[in-house]
Amino acid sequence: MRSDLLTSILSDLNGSSADIEASSVISTDGLMMAAMLPSGLDEDRVGAMGAAMLSLGDRTAQELARGHLEQVLIKGDNGYVLMTHAGNEAVLSVLAKPSARLGLIFLDVKRASEAISKVL
Amino acid sequence: MSDIDLGELMARAKAFSDLTPEREVLLVNSGDLIRPRLAEVTDSFYQKLASIPKATPFLEGRMESLKATHQQWLNSLFTGPYDENYTAAMYRVGDAHVRVKLPVEFMAGGMCLIQNELARIAGDVHANDAASVVALMSAVNSVLGFTLMVMQESYQSSSLAEELEKFLAITGMSRTLFNNLAVAYRV
Repeated sequence: MRSDLLTSILSDLNGSSADIEASSVISTDGLMMAAMLPSGLDEDRVGAMGAAMLSLGDRTAQELARGHLEQVLIKGDNGYVLMTHAGNEAVLSVLAKPSARLGLIFLDVKRASEAISKVL
Repeated sequence: MSDIDLGELMARAKAFSDLTPEREVLLVNSGDLIRPRLAEVTDSFYQKLASIPKATPFLEGRMESLKATHQQWLNSLFTGPYDENYTAAMYRVGDAHVRVKLPVEFMAGGMCLIQNELARIAGDVHANDAASVVALMSAVNSVLGFTLMVMQESYQSSSLAEELEKFLAITGMSRTLFNNLAVAYRV
């Protein structure tokens, strides 16, 4: 039931913008909870790596006196990876195209993470 | 230590160091000749260590208790048994060395000191009997090699565990997350 709700939120998120290519909800321990990923991506690795990045991001924000972590953004040649907390127990991870309008992506991701937090 | 297969470690270390059942019997049978002389080995060992500046911090205020433990262990080399209990005890020694931050070279260096002293004693007790000296020293080298391998395996394992704890503390990553990451990327 919760898995279906999470998948529904991800489906809405992916559909909200043509710039969003994939999304997933990961536990803070790195285990996949729900995913809408392209084929060719290993769910276990995406899950563990995403959680590790956010964990490191939390520590970096503290160490460099940036306050409470809001999100981790990675920019590559082929696009963006955006990760944010979705409640205390989960991480929302989104893949976006290189041409993505980040302002809109940030807004959609914020809304989705709040919805996920309520489900969990 | 709960993760280590002591039986497997013991078998592997004995095979590598050639500690055969025959050599184990020879060590025990040599006990009456060698054990009365083991205090010389301990005294020489700690005299040498005391001359090494890097060793001083590990010896200060602890010499007598260290010597007593050292004697007990040397005795066990000539009584046996060289079983899983002995392997477990030597594994704990390796871990203890990591906890006190003893540099890794001290274990191998220490074994050399002991080998040299026991070679001298073997030459004394089997004067004019080269074959017995060779046989005894082969057995001594095997049991010391076996012991060193067990201690070094533990030392390496404990060192890695310590480094991992530091990594997890620095990054804020939980052990569970680390384990899941390792599983996800297992080849």
